[in-house]
Amino acid sequence: MALPSRARSARVLVVALVSLSLVTITVDYREGEDGPLAGLGRVAITLISPLQEAVSKLTDPIGNFFSTMVRLPAIRAETERLRDRVAELESQLGTTVTNEQRLHELEELLAVQESLGPNVETLAAQIIASGVSNFEWTFTINKGSSDGVLMDMPVVASGKRLVGHVVQATTDSAVVQLIVDPDSAVAGRLETSRQTGLVSGHGDQDLRMGLVDVTTDVEAGEQVVTAGYRIPGVAQGLYPPGILIGTVSRVLPEEVALEKFVTVSPAVDFSTLDIVLVVLSNASR
Amino acid sequence: MRRFFTLTAVIVIALLAQTTVFADVRLLGARPELMYLLTIVFALLEGPSSGAISGFAGGMAQDFLLNQPKGITALTLTLVGYAVGLLRQYIVSPSPILPALMVAGGTFGGVLFYGVMSFLLGQFDSTLPYLLRVAALAAVYNAILTPLLYPLLRRLAEGSRSQKVVRW
Repeated sequence: MALPSRARSARVLVVALVSLSLVTITVDYREGEDGPLAGLGRVAITLISPLQEAVSKLTDPIGNFFSTMVRLPAIRAETERLRDRVAELESQLGTTVTNEQRLHELEELLAVQESLGPNVETLAAQIIASGVSNFEWTFTINKGSSDGVLMDMPVVASGKRLVGHVVQATTDSAVVQLIVDPDSAVAGRLETSRQTGLVSGHGDQDLRMGLVDVTTDVEAGEQVVTAGYRIPGVAQGLYPPGILIGTVSRVLPEEVALEKFVTVSPAVDFSTLDIVLVVLSNASR
Repeated sequence: MRRFFTLTAVIVIALLAQTTVFADVRLLGARPELMYLLTIVFALLEGPSSGAISGFAGGMAQDFLLNQPKGITALTLTLVGYAVGLLRQYIVSPSPILPALMVAGGTFGGVLFYGVMSFLLGQFDSTLPYLLRVAALAAVYNAILTPLLYPLLRRLAEGSRSQKVVRW
């Protein structure tokens, strides 16, 4: 062994640290959600979430500034487009006043209709941080088990649009897995045909809806809502029925003629989301 | 002792920055991987042992905030820190862009390794092109951040070095 002792001790150190990591991976993998390591993880989140909340409050303006800079060309184009649109809409405004009144009445009727459904109790929460890695689509919210937020509770945005569900709850904060997370799968229903399918996340890309009957007529723009039932082994029956998931953006060409695949663009813009509602009580459970 | 506190503080700050400030500042949909940057810069400055230790500590810290098997990031970053530290001993270039290049290469390799590990453990189910895209974007992003953070981290590392040891 002609190795200098420093190089040798570095090698021993690395072997030790790698073994330790492998042991951690194995232990955690076997224990799942209830093991002591998962508990430690919750403790870590409990400790860091107040800090995240504070930093988030301080740095939001800075973050907004930089993200605005990055999107500047898009914003300029957007401004042009909006200016044209304003001119166009102003000319239409006159005729729409009466229509608007009618719409208002209908909307109120709709709200009443919705409130007549299953008694749903919700809790508003603010997003204080988002997931740590590029492979996870999660949010941390500032409400936890002390406010009644528990694992598996559905999370929606205003206007009854689906955001995701709680995957981890600590005393004062909770982690929400978004429907765009690759691990997420939701039972969805096409509004027009009433056909059901499985909507799964694909990260930055649109959601994908599979297991749709081939004979179904699907068109882009059609709305997809939660079906509110359980597909054994695939999707949990977490969500109450009738929550908007998104609209069909594309019907994929059929490669195999057993099921139809459509892509669904989510109803919620996750990058601008700030306040969400956690559904506490749910008649279907 | 001072090193320990410096490292802890730097890791906590990096985690906070990663989940708050940089959560909004995305480049074509990807975020920077600050913990990778930190590990690689420490490995460049302090050698393979320190690189491996800071990688392990930072990786564990990040893992415990993730809702998946803990230890994957720790494993990745231990290896990244050690590899970069070793590689550094064979490169004598005084080029000022060397740190940025090393950070880009290390991040790319590290994120790929992480993705493959997650895939093997059944945690991450996506296509290879997507993984390559994320790794490349994170590498570019980290390389851009390196000139900003490298001087700061170097000052911290040098300030925390034990005074009794004579180095040459």
